[in-house]
Amino acid sequence: MRISNVAVIAGVGATDFSKNSGRSELRLAAEAVTAALRDAGISPTEVDGFCTFVMDNNAENELQRAVGAGPLTFFSRIHYGGGGGCGAVQQAVLAVAAGIANVVVCYRAMNERSEYRFGGPTAGAPTSEGVVAAYHALHGLQTAGAKMAISMRRYMHETGARPEDFANVSLAARRHAAVNPAAFFYKKPITLDDYMNSKMIADPLRLLDCCQESDGGVAIVVTRRDHPAVSQRQAVSILAAAQGMAPGTFSLMNYYRDDISPRDEVALMARQLYEQSGLSARDMQVGIIYDHFGPAVLPSLEACGFCEPGEAKDFVKHRNVEIGGTLPINTHGGQLGEAYIHGMNGIVEAVRQVRGESVNQVANVHNVLVTSGSGVPTSGLILGKL
Amino acid sequence: MNAIAKPRPPISNRDFDFFYRGLSERRLLVQKCWECGRLRNPPSPMCAACCSLAIEYVECKGEGTVYSYTVHHHPGLPGFSTPHSIVLVELDEGVRMIGAIAELGDPASVIGARVSIEWTRSHDVDSFRFVRNV
Repeated sequence: MRISNVAVIAGVGATDFSKNSGRSELRLAAEAVTAALRDAGISPTEVDGFCTFVMDNNAENELQRAVGAGPLTFFSRIHYGGGGGCGAVQQAVLAVAAGIANVVVCYRAMNERSEYRFGGPTAGAPTSEGVVAAYHALHGLQTAGAKMAISMRRYMHETGARPEDFANVSLAARRHAAVNPAAFFYKKPITLDDYMNSKMIADPLRLLDCCQESDGGVAIVVTRRDHPAVSQRQAVSILAAAQGMAPGTFSLMNYYRDDISPRDEVALMARQLYEQSGLSARDMQVGIIYDHFGPAVLPSLEACGFCEPGEAKDFVKHRNVEIGGTLPINTHGGQLGEAYIHGMNGIVEAVRQVRGESVNQVANVHNVLVTSGSGVPTSGLILGKL
Repeated sequence: MNAIAKPRPPISNRDFDFFYRGLSERRLLVQKCWECGRLRNPPSPMCAACCSLAIEYVECKGEGTVYSYTVHHHPGLPGFSTPHSIVLVELDEGVRMIGAIAELGDPASVIGARVSIEWTRSHDVDSFRFVRNV
């Protein structure tokens, strides 16, 4: 069964992004889902599938009850947090391509800043993953930042990347965010001095390398391209949708494989995107590259074939990843600059770029590659014109 | 310095219990496949090379070479004062292992530095940390 160009994103929706939403997570989910359905011109009663990825606390049946969705024939939840965003969309594509569901809504809605904190030390249960986490936590390796830092320190050693190279990613994201009214960094561009002086979180990662805990919700409506509500102007074709779990992929602690940088899992995923779509890296006009930590964008650019291994530090120089550059990335400001909705806001930005509706619109966009979280089992999409 | 007093006891199960039992006896143990002889780390119930469930345990000397590192600054860590340095070490036996390190020393020469372990005990939790060889 081929899945390329079978399903479309018919509509997208989001709540405001904030540090304190003032409402429940389920309400955020319901607001985002109904906004996306309005955008698509599809009634909630027509929804027969929901997909999300773990760490979202909204149960599918509660969301069904909240928005008045129809009888659900498909509900699925992908593991590995931020690695799963595009994977949730892939689930939706598989379901509609197989005829198991007609209208599947992918959602993410969290009060990860106001109701609990994200990225701090975690205690586990004695599950297969919990004991691995504890094995590392014994030595004080307990946060997402510190786990990624060890991989990125080795990446610097092997590629010669310097803090100034990491800064290029961080500055580009904030420049894009500065003109995006939905972004935390709206009208707040940063300088190289701001970056170099921002406090160290887990060496070599600085505060301005980190995405920010956010409250907010995002939803994406997936259906068949021949659904009667699908309009040429509005809908965006899903040209490829893939997952990737390379051997030796731990949750941000890929320390026991040859290349400990967050690259193998992204390369495995990207290879499938190009195979499914018949496209190559050169055919992409925009990239949405997962930036839980800005420096992790560099190995992802290499894994997606936008540059050779070790060359991303040169690729991001001279504003190449900004408007007017060879491959603008994260034009909404990314998760460094807009908000950290675990990549779902990035998928929405990819939709806007294909539709021609971004605040940082790139000219003549035909195809956009989107990645989910790296360093964990991951996923990705290529979206393009219908 | 930001100190948080109480460390958490390690969460373990039947795949990992040998490791913590080893620490309590001041032995740094890794698994070795009884069938094909491969060492593996972190612990796992089966040899990924030959699917054997037969395991023996090898005591490592605790000496190796730093492969990468971080210095954790924020947020505070249960059981550790910050900044807190952690190294990924290639043990001489051929497996990689994570551990805290007492003094990181010159940051420019951490990767590639030779290290050994010393035993620690804090709030009834037996563990080890690496120290740079002089």
